[in-house]
Amino acid sequence: MVEVLFIGLSLSSILLLIALGLAITYGAMGVINMAHGDMVMIGAYVTVMSKIWLGLDFYFAIPLAFIVTALIGLLIERIVIRRLYGRLLDTLLATWGISILLQQAVRLELGLSFFGLHIEGLGPGLQKVDVPEFLRGTISFGDTELNGYRMFIILVTIALTFVTWFLLYRTAFGVQVRAIIRNPEMAAASGIDVKRVNSLTFAFGSGLAGVAGVMMSGFKTVFPDMGATLVVDGFMVVVAGGVGSIYGTILSSGLLGEINALVALASNDIIARAVVFAVVILVIILKPKGLFSFKER
Amino acid sequence: MLATGDLNSYYGRSHILQGITLRVEKGEVTSIIGRNGTGKTTFLRSIMGLTDRTSGSILFEEREISASEPHERARSGIAYVPQGREIIPDFSVRENILMGAFARRDGKREVPALVAELFPYLVENLERAGGLLSGGQQQQLAIARALAADPKLILLDEPNEGIQPSIVEVIEQVIFRLNRELGLTVLLVEQNVRFVREVSHRFAVMEKGKLVVQGESGELSDEIVHKHLAV
Repeated sequence: MVEVLFIGLSLSSILLLIALGLAITYGAMGVINMAHGDMVMIGAYVTVMSKIWLGLDFYFAIPLAFIVTALIGLLIERIVIRRLYGRLLDTLLATWGISILLQQAVRLELGLSFFGLHIEGLGPGLQKVDVPEFLRGTISFGDTELNGYRMFIILVTIALTFVTWFLLYRTAFGVQVRAIIRNPEMAAASGIDVKRVNSLTFAFGSGLAGVAGVMMSGFKTVFPDMGATLVVDGFMVVVAGGVGSIYGTILSSGLLGEINALVALASNDIIARAVVFAVVILVIILKPKGLFSFKER
Repeated sequence: MLATGDLNSYYGRSHILQGITLRVEKGEVTSIIGRNGTGKTTFLRSIMGLTDRTSGSILFEEREISASEPHERARSGIAYVPQGREIIPDFSVRENILMGAFARRDGKREVPALVAELFPYLVENLERAGGLLSGGQQQQLAIARALAADPKLILLDEPNEGIQPSIVEVIEQVIFRLNRELGLTVLLVEQNVRFVREVSHRFAVMEKGKLVVQGESGELSDEIVHKHLAV
Protein backbone atom coordinates (compact mmCIF):
# COMPACT_ATOMS: atom_id res chain seq x y z
CA MET A 1 0.00 0.00 0.00
CA VAL A 2 2.78 2.42 0.90
CA GLU A 3 4.35 1.70 -2.50
CA VAL A 4 1.13 2.65 -4.27
CA LEU A 5 0.72 5.88 -2.32
CA PHE A 6 4.35 6.57 -3.10
CA ILE A 7 3.79 6.08 -6.83
CA GLY A 8 0.74 8.34 -6.51
CA LEU A 9 2.92 10.97 -4.87
CA SER A 10 5.40 10.88 -7.73
CA LEU A 11 2.55 11.29 -10.25
CA SER A 12 1.25 14.15 -8.14
CA SER A 13 4.68 15.75 -8.25
CA ILE A 14 4.78 15.83 -12.04
CA LEU A 15 1.21 17.17 -12.09
CA LEU A 16 2.16 19.85 -9.60
CA LEU A 17 5.18 21.01 -11.59
CA ILE A 18 2.97 21.36 -14.66
CA ALA A 19 0.05 22.94 -12.81
CA LEU A 20 2.02 25.49 -10.77
CA GLY A 21 2.96 27.41 -13.88
CA LEU A 22 -0.60 27.27 -15.16
CA ALA A 23 -2.02 28.30 -11.80
CA ILE A 24 0.11 31.43 -11.82
CA THR A 25 -0.41 32.42 -15.44
CA TYR A 26 -4.12 31.56 -15.52
CA GLY A 27 -4.81 32.89 -12.03
CA ALA A 28 -2.64 35.99 -12.29
CA MET A 29 -2.80 36.99 -15.88
CA GLY A 30 -6.05 35.44 -17.08
CA VAL A 31 -4.26 33.64 -19.87
CA ILE A 32 -5.18 30.10 -20.92
CA ASN A 33 -1.85 28.85 -22.17
CA MET A 34 -2.41 25.82 -24.38
CA ALA A 35 1.31 25.76 -25.22
CA HIS A 36 2.19 25.02 -21.60
CA GLY A 37 2.23 21.26 -22.25
CA ASP A 38 4.71 21.81 -25.03
CA MET A 39 7.10 23.36 -22.54
CA VAL A 40 7.02 19.94 -20.83
CA MET A 41 7.71 18.32 -24.21
CA ILE A 42 10.59 20.72 -24.92
CA GLY A 43 11.99 20.10 -21.44
CA ALA A 44 11.95 16.38 -22.19
CA TYR A 45 13.66 16.91 -25.55
CA VAL A 46 16.29 19.11 -23.93
CA THR A 47 17.10 16.13 -21.72
CA VAL A 48 17.38 13.83 -24.75
CA MET A 49 19.36 16.22 -26.91
CA SER A 50 21.71 17.49 -24.22
CA LYS A 51 22.82 13.88 -23.82
CA ILE A 52 23.20 13.25 -27.56
CA TRP A 53 24.63 16.60 -28.62
CA LEU A 54 26.47 17.78 -25.56
CA GLY A 55 27.09 14.55 -23.75
CA LEU A 56 25.65 16.09 -20.61
CA ASP A 57 24.53 14.08 -17.63
CA PHE A 58 20.85 13.80 -16.71
CA TYR A 59 21.28 16.13 -13.73
CA PHE A 60 22.56 18.97 -15.91
CA ALA A 61 19.44 18.72 -18.04
CA ILE A 62 17.37 20.11 -15.13
CA PRO A 63 18.79 23.66 -15.08
CA LEU A 64 19.32 23.59 -18.84
CA ALA A 65 15.68 22.63 -19.52
CA PHE A 66 14.52 25.30 -17.07
CA ILE A 67 16.51 27.99 -18.87
CA VAL A 68 15.54 26.89 -22.39
CA THR A 69 11.81 26.64 -21.66
CA ALA A 70 11.81 29.83 -19.59
CA LEU A 71 13.37 31.69 -22.53
CA ILE A 72 10.85 30.21 -24.95
CA GLY A 73 8.07 31.20 -22.53
CA LEU A 74 9.49 34.72 -22.37
CA LEU A 75 9.48 34.94 -26.17
CA ILE A 76 5.89 33.67 -26.42
CA GLU A 77 4.78 36.24 -23.85
CA ARG A 78 6.63 39.10 -25.53
CA ILE A 79 5.55 38.29 -29.07
CA VAL A 80 1.99 37.00 -28.70
CA ILE A 81 0.41 36.97 -25.26
CA ARG A 82 1.31 40.55 -24.31
CA ARG A 83 -0.99 41.76 -27.08
CA LEU A 84 -3.91 39.66 -25.87
CA TYR A 85 -4.30 40.49 -22.17
CA GLY A 86 -7.92 40.60 -21.08
CA ARG A 87 -9.04 38.47 -24.03
CA LEU A 88 -9.28 35.00 -22.53
CA LEU A 89 -10.58 33.11 -25.56
CA ASP A 90 -8.11 34.77 -27.90
CA THR A 91 -5.23 33.67 -25.69
CA LEU A 92 -6.60 30.12 -25.84
CA LEU A 93 -6.67 30.08 -29.64
CA ALA A 94 -3.36 31.87 -30.10
CA THR A 95 -1.47 29.64 -27.67
CA TRP A 96 -3.07 26.56 -29.22
CA GLY A 97 -1.60 27.74 -32.51
CA ILE A 98 1.78 28.18 -30.87
CA SER A 99 1.45 24.69 -29.45
CA ILE A 100 0.90 23.21 -32.92
CA LEU A 101 3.82 25.20 -34.30
CA LEU A 102 6.14 23.96 -31.56
CA GLN A 103 5.07 20.34 -32.01
CA GLN A 104 5.57 20.46 -35.77
CA ALA A 105 8.90 22.23 -35.42
CA VAL A 106 10.18 19.52 -33.08
CA ARG A 107 8.78 16.79 -35.30
CA LEU A 108 10.45 18.31 -38.38
CA GLU A 109 13.78 18.83 -36.72
CA LEU A 110 14.07 15.84 -34.42
CA GLY A 111 11.19 13.57 -35.17
CA LEU A 112 12.40 11.71 -38.21
CA SER A 113 15.80 10.79 -39.47
CA PHE A 114 16.29 13.47 -42.07
CA PHE A 115 17.69 12.88 -45.56
CA GLY A 116 18.95 9.50 -44.58
CA LEU A 117 21.15 11.15 -42.01
CA HIS A 118 20.96 9.17 -38.85
CA ILE A 119 21.93 10.31 -35.43
CA GLU A 120 22.07 7.73 -32.74
CA GLY A 121 19.00 7.79 -30.55
CA LEU A 122 16.81 9.45 -33.16
CA GLY A 123 13.92 7.36 -34.33
CA PRO A 124 10.48 8.25 -35.62
CA GLY A 125 10.07 10.96 -33.03
CA LEU A 126 10.20 8.61 -30.09
CA GLN A 127 12.97 9.02 -27.60
CA LYS A 128 13.90 7.69 -24.27
CA VAL A 129 16.34 8.74 -21.62
CA ASP A 130 18.49 6.62 -19.38
CA VAL A 131 18.33 7.85 -15.84
CA PRO A 132 21.60 7.80 -13.92
CA GLU A 133 22.72 4.52 -12.37
CA PHE A 134 22.40 6.02 -8.92
CA LEU A 135 18.63 6.54 -9.30
CA ARG A 136 17.79 3.22 -10.92
CA GLY A 137 17.68 1.04 -7.86
CA THR A 138 15.31 1.01 -4.95
CA ILE A 139 15.70 2.36 -1.47
CA SER A 140 14.44 0.22 1.38
CA PHE A 141 12.61 1.55 4.37
CA GLY A 142 11.92 -1.46 6.58
CA ASP A 143 9.76 -3.76 4.43
CA THR A 144 8.93 -1.22 1.75
CA GLU A 145 11.06 -0.79 -1.33
CA LEU A 146 10.82 2.65 -2.89
CA ASN A 147 11.96 3.37 -6.40
CA GLY A 148 14.93 5.74 -6.36
CA TYR A 149 13.93 7.71 -9.42
CA ARG A 150 10.42 8.37 -8.14
CA MET A 151 11.93 9.53 -4.88
CA PHE A 152 14.12 11.91 -6.86
CA ILE A 153 11.07 13.35 -8.68
CA ILE A 154 9.33 13.98 -5.39
CA LEU A 155 12.38 15.70 -3.88
CA VAL A 156 12.91 17.92 -6.92
CA THR A 157 9.24 18.90 -6.82
CA ILE A 158 9.34 19.73 -3.12
CA ALA A 159 12.41 21.88 -3.72
CA LEU A 160 10.86 23.75 -6.64
CA THR A 161 7.54 24.21 -4.86
CA PHE A 162 9.46 25.71 -1.95
CA VAL A 163 11.32 28.02 -4.34
CA THR A 164 8.00 29.10 -5.88
CA TRP A 165 6.45 29.71 -2.47
CA PHE A 166 9.49 31.68 -1.38
CA LEU A 167 9.43 33.79 -4.54
CA LEU A 168 5.74 34.56 -4.18
CA TYR A 169 5.49 35.13 -0.45
CA ARG A 170 8.92 36.23 0.71
CA THR A 171 10.31 38.52 -1.99
CA ALA A 172 9.48 41.96 -3.34
CA PHE A 173 8.95 40.32 -6.73
CA GLY A 174 6.30 38.06 -5.18
CA VAL A 175 4.47 41.03 -3.69
CA GLN A 176 4.32 42.50 -7.19
CA VAL A 177 2.98 39.25 -8.67
CA ARG A 178 0.32 38.90 -5.98
CA ALA A 179 -0.63 42.57 -6.24
CA ILE A 180 -1.19 42.09 -9.98
CA ILE A 181 -3.31 38.98 -9.30
CA ARG A 182 -5.53 41.02 -6.98
CA ASN A 183 -5.72 44.37 -8.71
CA PRO A 184 -3.67 45.00 -11.85
CA GLU A 185 -4.73 48.64 -12.20
CA MET A 186 -3.86 49.60 -8.66
CA ALA A 187 -0.60 47.65 -9.00
CA ALA A 188 0.34 49.76 -12.02
CA ALA A 189 -0.72 52.96 -10.29
CA SER A 190 1.53 51.99 -7.38
CA GLY A 191 4.57 51.89 -9.64
CA ILE A 192 4.65 48.19 -10.50
CA ASP A 193 5.79 47.48 -14.05
CA VAL A 194 2.96 45.07 -14.80
CA LYS A 195 4.20 44.01 -18.25
CA ARG A 196 7.67 43.20 -17.04
CA VAL A 197 6.45 41.26 -14.00
CA ASN A 198 3.96 39.35 -16.15
CA SER A 199 6.58 38.25 -18.65
CA LEU A 200 8.95 37.11 -15.89
CA THR A 201 6.09 35.23 -14.21
CA PHE A 202 5.23 33.58 -17.49
CA ALA A 203 8.86 32.61 -18.06
CA PHE A 204 9.12 31.13 -14.57
CA GLY A 205 5.96 29.06 -15.07
CA SER A 206 7.27 27.79 -18.40
CA GLY A 207 10.58 26.89 -16.77
CA LEU A 208 8.79 24.77 -14.14
CA ALA A 209 6.99 22.93 -16.93
CA GLY A 210 10.36 22.35 -18.58
CA VAL A 211 11.66 20.69 -15.41
CA ALA A 212 8.51 18.54 -15.33
CA GLY A 213 9.55 17.44 -18.83
CA VAL A 214 12.98 16.39 -17.59
CA MET A 215 11.36 14.33 -14.85
CA MET A 216 8.90 12.69 -17.28
CA SER A 217 11.62 11.81 -19.76
CA GLY A 218 13.05 9.41 -17.19
CA PHE A 219 10.07 7.05 -17.20
CA LYS A 220 7.97 7.89 -20.24
CA THR A 221 8.59 7.93 -23.96
CA VAL A 222 9.47 11.35 -25.30
CA PHE A 223 7.54 12.36 -28.44
CA PRO A 224 6.41 15.60 -30.05
CA ASP A 225 2.71 15.45 -29.04
CA MET A 226 3.28 14.45 -25.43
CA GLY A 227 2.33 17.94 -24.24
CA ALA A 228 -1.22 17.84 -25.59
CA THR A 229 -2.63 15.58 -22.87
CA LEU A 230 -0.43 17.14 -20.19
CA VAL A 231 -1.85 20.62 -20.60
CA VAL A 232 -5.30 19.11 -20.04
CA ASP A 233 -4.06 17.38 -16.89
CA GLY A 234 -2.57 20.64 -15.70
CA PHE A 235 -5.79 22.58 -16.19
CA MET A 236 -7.78 19.85 -14.43
CA VAL A 237 -5.55 20.28 -11.39
CA VAL A 238 -5.88 24.07 -11.47
CA VAL A 239 -9.66 24.08 -11.92
CA ALA A 240 -10.26 21.36 -9.32
CA GLY A 241 -7.97 23.11 -6.86
CA GLY A 242 -9.47 26.54 -7.30
CA VAL A 243 -8.20 29.18 -9.68
CA GLY A 244 -5.75 31.62 -8.16
CA SER A 245 -4.99 29.48 -5.13
CA ILE A 246 -1.45 28.09 -4.98
CA TYR A 247 -2.30 25.92 -1.97
CA GLY A 248 -5.34 24.62 -3.82
CA THR A 249 -3.15 23.63 -6.72
CA ILE A 250 -0.76 21.75 -4.44
CA LEU A 251 -3.55 19.87 -2.64
CA SER A 252 -5.48 19.08 -5.78
CA SER A 253 -2.45 17.71 -7.62
CA GLY A 254 -1.86 15.48 -4.61
CA LEU A 255 -5.46 14.29 -4.68
CA LEU A 256 -5.64 13.59 -8.41
CA GLY A 257 -2.22 11.89 -8.47
CA GLU A 258 -3.20 9.55 -5.64
CA ILE A 259 -6.59 8.73 -7.18
CA ASN A 260 -4.79 7.89 -10.40
CA ALA A 261 -2.33 5.59 -8.64
CA LEU A 262 -4.94 3.84 -6.48
CA VAL A 263 -7.38 3.17 -9.31
CA ALA A 264 -4.55 2.08 -11.59
CA LEU A 265 -3.57 -0.51 -8.97
CA ALA A 266 -7.11 -1.88 -8.77
CA SER A 267 -7.69 -1.91 -12.53
CA ASN A 268 -5.47 -0.24 -15.12
CA ASP A 269 -4.15 3.12 -16.30
CA ILE A 270 -6.95 3.79 -18.78
CA ILE A 271 -9.67 3.31 -16.18
CA ALA A 272 -7.64 5.40 -13.73
CA ARG A 273 -7.56 8.29 -16.15
CA ALA A 274 -11.31 8.00 -16.71
CA VAL A 275 -11.92 8.05 -12.96
CA VAL A 276 -9.76 11.17 -12.58
CA PHE A 277 -11.80 12.88 -15.30
CA ALA A 278 -15.02 11.84 -13.54
CA VAL A 279 -13.78 13.22 -10.24
CA VAL A 280 -12.86 16.55 -11.83
CA ILE A 281 -16.25 16.81 -13.56
CA LEU A 282 -17.91 16.08 -10.24
CA VAL A 283 -15.86 18.79 -8.54
CA ILE A 284 -16.78 21.33 -11.21
CA ILE A 285 -20.48 20.50 -10.83
CA LEU A 286 -20.51 20.51 -7.02
CA LYS A 287 -17.95 23.22 -6.31
CA PRO A 288 -17.53 25.40 -9.38
CA LYS A 289 -14.93 27.54 -7.64
CA GLY A 290 -12.75 24.54 -6.91
CA LEU A 291 -12.17 22.42 -3.83
CA PHE A 292 -9.69 24.61 -2.04
CA SER A 293 -10.50 28.17 -3.02
CA PHE A 294 -10.43 29.73 0.41
CA LYS A 295 -11.09 33.24 -0.75
CA GLU A 296 -12.89 34.99 -3.52
CA ARG A 297 -10.65 36.47 -6.17
CA MET B 1 3.33 71.30 -11.46
CA LEU B 2 0.65 69.53 -13.47
CA ALA B 3 -1.04 70.94 -16.53
CA THR B 4 -3.49 69.25 -18.82
CA GLY B 5 -4.10 70.74 -22.22
CA ASP B 6 -7.27 69.96 -24.18
CA LEU B 7 -7.40 66.51 -22.55
CA ASN B 8 -9.95 64.12 -24.02
CA SER B 9 -10.63 60.67 -22.68
CA TYR B 10 -12.67 57.80 -24.06
CA TYR B 11 -14.09 54.51 -22.82
CA GLY B 12 -14.72 52.43 -25.89
CA ARG B 13 -16.81 54.71 -28.05
CA SER B 14 -18.04 57.08 -25.39
CA HIS B 15 -16.26 60.38 -25.20
CA ILE B 16 -16.05 61.04 -21.46
CA LEU B 17 -13.72 64.01 -21.02
CA GLN B 18 -14.03 66.79 -23.55
CA GLY B 19 -11.12 69.15 -23.73
CA ILE B 20 -10.06 69.58 -20.10
CA THR B 21 -7.47 72.32 -19.60
CA LEU B 22 -6.37 72.71 -15.99
CA ARG B 23 -3.27 73.81 -14.14
CA VAL B 24 -2.38 72.46 -10.72
CA GLU B 25 0.13 74.79 -9.07
CA LYS B 26 2.96 73.44 -6.95
CA GLY B 27 2.22 73.44 -3.24
CA GLU B 28 -1.49 74.07 -3.66
CA VAL B 29 -4.67 72.11 -3.19
CA THR B 30 -6.83 72.13 -6.31
CA SER B 31 -10.33 70.70 -5.94
CA ILE B 32 -12.62 69.41 -8.63
CA ILE B 33 -16.30 69.44 -7.80
CA GLY B 34 -19.35 68.47 -9.75
CA ARG B 35 -22.29 66.10 -9.73
CA ASN B 36 -21.90 62.34 -9.97
CA GLY B 37 -21.05 60.92 -13.38
CA THR B 38 -19.60 64.11 -14.81
CA GLY B 39 -16.13 62.65 -15.37
CA LYS B 40 -14.21 63.65 -12.24
CA THR B 41 -12.96 60.15 -11.56
CA THR B 42 -12.15 59.66 -15.24
CA PHE B 43 -10.05 62.80 -15.10
CA LEU B 44 -7.90 61.43 -12.27
CA ARG B 45 -7.67 58.03 -13.98
CA SER B 46 -6.59 59.73 -17.21
CA ILE B 47 -3.80 61.54 -15.40
CA MET B 48 -2.69 58.17 -14.02
CA GLY B 49 -2.93 56.52 -17.45
CA LEU B 50 -5.63 54.02 -16.51
CA THR B 51 -8.21 54.84 -19.17
CA ASP B 52 -8.62 53.20 -22.56
CA ARG B 53 -7.55 56.11 -24.72
CA THR B 54 -6.77 59.78 -24.27
CA SER B 55 -5.75 62.65 -26.51
CA GLY B 56 -4.32 66.04 -25.63
CA SER B 57 -1.40 66.75 -23.37
CA ILE B 58 -0.55 66.08 -19.74
CA LEU B 59 2.51 67.96 -18.53
CA PHE B 60 3.98 66.96 -15.18
CA GLU B 61 6.91 69.09 -14.05
CA GLU B 62 7.31 70.33 -17.63
CA ARG B 63 7.50 66.77 -18.98
CA GLU B 64 4.91 65.33 -21.34
CA ILE B 65 3.64 62.13 -19.72
CA SER B 66 0.54 61.34 -21.77
CA ALA B 67 2.33 58.51 -23.60
CA SER B 68 3.88 56.98 -20.45
CA GLU B 69 2.78 53.75 -18.81
CA PRO B 70 0.93 54.10 -15.48
CA HIS B 71 3.87 52.77 -13.47
CA GLU B 72 6.18 55.33 -15.07
CA ARG B 73 3.80 58.12 -14.10
CA ALA B 74 3.70 56.74 -10.55
CA ARG B 75 7.50 56.63 -10.44
CA SER B 76 7.76 60.19 -11.69
CA GLY B 77 6.00 61.29 -8.49
CA ILE B 78 2.23 61.05 -8.91
CA ALA B 79 0.38 58.99 -6.32
CA TYR B 80 -3.24 57.94 -6.66
CA VAL B 81 -5.82 57.26 -3.95
CA PRO B 82 -8.77 55.88 -5.87
CA GLN B 83 -12.44 56.03 -5.12
CA GLY B 84 -13.44 53.00 -3.10
CA ARG B 85 -9.85 52.81 -1.77
CA GLU B 86 -8.94 49.57 -3.59
CA ILE B 87 -6.63 48.25 -0.96
CA ILE B 88 -5.82 44.55 -1.25
CA PRO B 89 -7.96 42.69 1.31
CA ASP B 90 -5.71 39.68 1.88
CA PHE B 91 -2.49 41.68 2.02
CA SER B 92 -1.38 42.75 5.47
CA VAL B 93 -1.42 46.44 6.33
CA ARG B 94 2.36 46.44 5.91
CA GLU B 95 2.19 44.80 2.46
CA ASN B 96 -0.48 47.26 1.37
CA ILE B 97 1.62 50.22 2.42
CA LEU B 98 4.80 48.83 0.90
CA MET B 99 2.99 48.24 -2.38
CA GLY B 100 3.12 51.99 -2.86
CA ALA B 101 6.87 52.00 -2.28
CA PHE B 102 7.44 50.36 -5.68
CA ALA B 103 7.02 53.86 -7.08
CA ARG B 104 9.85 55.30 -4.97
CA ARG B 105 12.73 56.58 -7.04
CA ASP B 106 15.38 55.68 -4.47
CA GLY B 107 14.22 52.07 -4.25
CA LYS B 108 13.73 52.16 -0.46
CA ARG B 109 11.02 49.87 0.81
CA GLU B 110 9.90 51.01 4.24
CA VAL B 111 6.85 52.32 6.03
CA PRO B 112 7.55 56.08 6.11
CA ALA B 113 7.87 57.80 9.47
CA LEU B 114 5.18 60.18 8.26
CA VAL B 115 2.67 57.31 8.09
CA ALA B 116 3.45 56.36 11.69
CA GLU B 117 2.81 59.93 12.73
CA LEU B 118 -0.43 60.44 10.79
CA PHE B 119 -1.96 57.00 11.24
CA PRO B 120 -0.76 55.43 14.50
CA TYR B 121 -3.48 52.80 14.28
CA LEU B 122 -2.03 51.39 11.05
CA VAL B 123 1.49 51.15 12.43
CA GLU B 124 0.20 49.35 15.52
CA ASN B 125 -1.57 46.82 13.30
CA LEU B 126 0.94 46.20 10.54
CA GLU B 127 0.31 42.45 10.40
CA ARG B 128 -3.49 42.66 10.23
CA ALA B 129 -5.16 41.82 6.92
CA GLY B 130 -6.24 44.99 5.10
CA GLY B 131 -9.71 43.53 4.51
CA LEU B 132 -10.40 43.38 8.26
CA LEU B 133 -10.10 47.16 8.68
CA SER B 134 -13.12 49.46 8.79
CA GLY B 135 -13.92 51.67 5.81
CA GLY B 136 -12.27 54.68 7.39
CA GLN B 137 -9.17 52.73 8.33
CA GLN B 138 -8.98 51.38 4.79
CA GLN B 139 -9.10 54.95 3.52
CA GLN B 140 -6.20 55.82 5.80
CA LEU B 141 -4.40 52.76 4.48
CA ALA B 142 -4.94 53.89 0.88
CA ILE B 143 -3.47 57.29 1.74
CA ALA B 144 -0.57 55.63 3.55
CA ARG B 145 0.09 53.50 0.47
CA ALA B 146 0.23 56.64 -1.66
CA LEU B 147 2.60 58.33 0.82
CA ALA B 148 4.94 55.34 0.77
CA ALA B 149 5.81 56.40 -2.78
CA ASP B 150 7.18 59.70 -1.46
CA PRO B 151 5.12 61.56 -4.10
CA LYS B 152 5.23 65.13 -5.30
CA LEU B 153 1.57 65.20 -6.29
CA ILE B 154 -1.24 63.18 -4.77
CA LEU B 155 -4.57 62.53 -6.51
CA LEU B 156 -7.40 61.96 -4.04
CA ASP B 157 -10.76 60.72 -5.28
CA GLU B 158 -13.56 61.44 -2.80
CA PRO B 159 -11.54 60.42 0.25
CA ASN B 160 -14.49 61.01 2.56
CA GLU B 161 -17.12 59.08 0.68
CA GLY B 162 -18.89 56.40 2.70
CA ILE B 163 -16.87 56.88 5.87
CA GLN B 164 -18.03 57.27 9.44
CA PRO B 165 -18.12 60.97 10.49
CA SER B 166 -15.47 60.59 13.20
CA ILE B 167 -12.91 59.47 10.61
CA VAL B 168 -13.95 62.09 8.06
CA GLU B 169 -12.52 64.70 10.39
CA VAL B 170 -9.27 62.77 10.77
CA ILE B 171 -8.86 62.47 7.04
CA GLU B 172 -9.64 66.13 6.46
CA GLN B 173 -6.96 67.00 9.00
CA VAL B 174 -4.48 64.73 7.27
CA ILE B 175 -5.08 66.32 3.87
CA PHE B 176 -4.72 69.73 5.45
CA ARG B 177 -1.43 68.83 7.10
CA LEU B 178 0.00 67.08 4.05
CA ASN B 179 -0.42 70.29 2.11
CA ARG B 180 0.12 73.06 4.64
CA GLU B 181 2.91 71.50 6.69
CA LEU B 182 4.62 69.21 4.22
CA GLY B 183 4.01 71.15 1.03
CA LEU B 184 2.54 68.23 -0.89
CA THR B 185 0.59 69.27 -3.97
CA VAL B 186 -2.95 67.86 -3.94
CA LEU B 187 -5.53 67.35 -6.66
CA LEU B 188 -8.76 66.54 -4.85
CA VAL B 189 -12.11 65.33 -6.14
CA GLU B 190 -14.67 66.14 -3.47
CA GLN B 191 -18.41 66.62 -3.00
CA ASN B 192 -18.32 68.39 0.33
CA VAL B 193 -18.30 72.12 -0.45
CA ARG B 194 -17.50 73.15 3.11
CA PHE B 195 -14.29 71.11 3.04
CA VAL B 196 -13.42 72.31 -0.46
CA ARG B 197 -13.66 75.93 0.69
CA GLU B 198 -11.59 75.16 3.77
CA VAL B 199 -8.74 73.28 2.19
CA SER B 200 -8.40 74.40 -1.43
CA HIS B 201 -6.50 77.18 -3.05
CA ARG B 202 -8.29 76.73 -6.35
CA PHE B 203 -11.34 74.90 -7.57
CA ALA B 204 -12.81 73.77 -10.86
CA VAL B 205 -16.36 72.65 -11.57
CA MET B 206 -16.92 69.76 -13.94
CA GLU B 207 -20.12 69.21 -15.85
CA LYS B 208 -20.71 66.62 -18.58
CA GLY B 209 -17.00 66.05 -19.12
CA LYS B 210 -16.09 69.74 -19.35
CA LEU B 211 -14.74 72.27 -16.86
CA VAL B 212 -17.38 75.00 -16.72
CA VAL B 213 -16.03 77.26 -13.94
CA GLN B 214 -12.53 77.66 -12.52
CA GLY B 215 -11.17 80.04 -9.95
CA GLU B 216 -9.59 80.67 -6.58
CA SER B 217 -11.47 79.12 -3.72
CA GLY B 218 -12.66 82.53 -2.47
CA GLU B 219 -14.64 82.78 -5.68
CA LEU B 220 -16.57 79.58 -5.01
CA SER B 221 -19.88 81.35 -4.35
CA ASP B 222 -23.16 79.85 -3.20
CA GLU B 223 -24.52 80.73 -6.60
CA ILE B 224 -21.97 78.51 -8.37
CA VAL B 225 -22.61 75.73 -5.89
CA HIS B 226 -26.35 75.99 -6.37
CA LYS B 227 -26.13 76.08 -10.14
CA HIS B 228 -23.69 73.23 -10.65
CA LEU B 229 -23.97 71.01 -7.61
CA ALA B 230 -27.55 71.05 -6.39
CA VAL B 231 -29.36 67.87 -7.33
